[in-house]
Amino acid sequence: MVPLILRILARLALGLLVLIALAPILWTALGAFKELRDIVTPVPKLFFTPTLDNFATILGNPTIRDGLVNSVLVVAASVGIGALLGIPAAHTLARHMRRRGDDIQFFVLSLRFMPPVAIAIPFIVIYLDLGIYDSLGGLILVYLVTTISTMIWLATPAFERVPPEIEEAAAMEGCSEAEVFWRISLPVAAPSLFGALVFTFVLVWNELLLALTLAAQNATLPVVAASITSLGKEVPWGVINAATVVLVLPPLFFIGLLMGLINSMIRSGGRTKG
Amino acid sequence: MAHIECSGIVKSYGAHPVIDGLNLMIPDHEFVVFLGPSGCGKSTMLRMIAGLEEVTAGRISIGGADVTNRHPGQRGVAMVFQSYALYPHMTVADNITFGLRRAGVPGPEIDRRLGEVARMLGLEPMLNRKPKAMSGGQQQRVAMARAMIKTPKVFLFDEPLSNLDAKLREKLRTEIRKMHNSLKTTTIFVTHDQLEAMTIADRIVLMRAGAIEQQGTPDEIFDRPATRFVADFIGSPSMNFRLGRIERGAAVAGSVRIPLPPGRFAVAEGQEVELGLRPTRMERVSPGAEGAITGRVSLIENMGAEGQIIAEVDGADMSFVTRDFRGLSIGDPVSFALSPDHLHIFDRATGRSCLA
Repeated sequence: MVPLILRILARLALGLLVLIALAPILWTALGAFKELRDIVTPVPKLFFTPTLDNFATILGNPTIRDGLVNSVLVVAASVGIGALLGIPAAHTLARHMRRRGDDIQFFVLSLRFMPPVAIAIPFIVIYLDLGIYDSLGGLILVYLVTTISTMIWLATPAFERVPPEIEEAAAMEGCSEAEVFWRISLPVAAPSLFGALVFTFVLVWNELLLALTLAAQNATLPVVAASITSLGKEVPWGVINAATVVLVLPPLFFIGLLMGLINSMIRSGGRTKG
Repeated sequence: MAHIECSGIVKSYGAHPVIDGLNLMIPDHEFVVFLGPSGCGKSTMLRMIAGLEEVTAGRISIGGADVTNRHPGQRGVAMVFQSYALYPHMTVADNITFGLRRAGVPGPEIDRRLGEVARMLGLEPMLNRKPKAMSGGQQQRVAMARAMIKTPKVFLFDEPLSNLDAKLREKLRTEIRKMHNSLKTTTIFVTHDQLEAMTIADRIVLMRAGAIEQQGTPDEIFDRPATRFVADFIGSPSMNFRLGRIERGAAVAGSVRIPLPPGRFAVAEGQEVELGLRPTRMERVSPGAEGAITGRVSLIENMGAEGQIIAEVDGADMSFVTRDFRGLSIGDPVSFALSPDHLHIFDRATGRSCLA
């Protein structure tokens, strides 16, 4: 009886903690559906007539809409290319560069040591000279430094955990190195790689400084969101809340999509037709 | 099925050669065991035959075809690993059929062969399970099925039983040997367990520090060890060694005096030698008997049907195995003798056997 009570108490405490952690997010989500007068009342309102006006404002505003599109394009491209180049590089590091691997890993990590501010200003000059200032391509290019290095940094240990004998067994069955990578190492390491992918995605999705300095017209969503908050005293709280929700949704959607993809990948186990 | 020929094999990591000019010939259908202590190069040798390790110099041919530079998948060999090396993301059936599916073998043919090997290894009820949900013994069976379904020319086993508990090890060992008796595929089996090697092999290749120390049938290796190293490595309990010399037609070491059977050894009078006495080739005798060794019991190890007696002889332990151990207790005087055909004498300088 006593253990049961203890367990219930523990559950309650846990529930309370989760509620405290999630409360601001829930409040923001709630605020996105409120009219301004429901938000600025001295007594917080839990029950109100929901409205989609805020979302209409957001999605009807070309700056925000463009920001969203730009963000999706830039992040998809930089994370996609980062994974495409970084994951095979990580496999090679884990398998063939045992001795030099640590040095290379450190070099890759050192790319992340420098504060972005330090490179932002030189980059403006270089980008202006090259004529890629304020272009999505330019932004993708600078983000690739982050995504490729982070992917390598996080994916190398994932491949190191794949037992070499498994790859050797596949080689004994006649698989070429590329085939071993594609049909054995990648699916086996997939759950860990998933984490790396999500982390990289979040890094660039939230990136503000470089986006702010290297793009003016082609701003990404964090830049747009930042500009809304600096509107002065007449703060459109409902719109900000809705913008936040819009900013948060794509990563969640992306993570869900990726999880499904990886699950199916693991289940099928590289099965071929025929 | 095929014979294997290795000639002048050299393997070095950097400037340091781990295998230096090794020659080996394995006839068709033979079950060969590479035996040796860890680090002797036996696994490296196997991996070079498999194609997983590059050969620094030399030639390997399987079935008459030079495979030295061929990809592992093109050598017609199948391998079973110590760690099973099953693909964790595939079911048992997918694991077994991976190679055939990859090679584009038609579906009905794959199903037929899968059914065959699954029946042979008792895997039918678990074909849809993932390797993670299986015991070590079951996983190793799957790995064996995966090797068998390819009908390779050569089976390679790299310490396949080392991760299993003793009982299972014995059972699977028998199964592997039975499998070989029915399939007759040339097999190389690597182990560091001398008992495993003795029980399973047609021929043992005993390796030490990258070279072959001796090769021969289990009987030859056990009864006619070519060197002290082989004599020490093979047999459990291990052989007793005593430093001694040849005096008037007998090998003498302290109070131990064993007459030499004429013609068995090529030794000279007064030669400094090392005597080897197998515990399992000794038996209790009456104190005054010819060649009797007398000592004081210092430990008795009951092994069920037999007991190992460790006796103090000339201040050092000497062990022997007897069925007649139950009356003895620690401190008792005990006399025992070696059956004369089982004395081993090694040259002290070279460690080589002095058998004629």
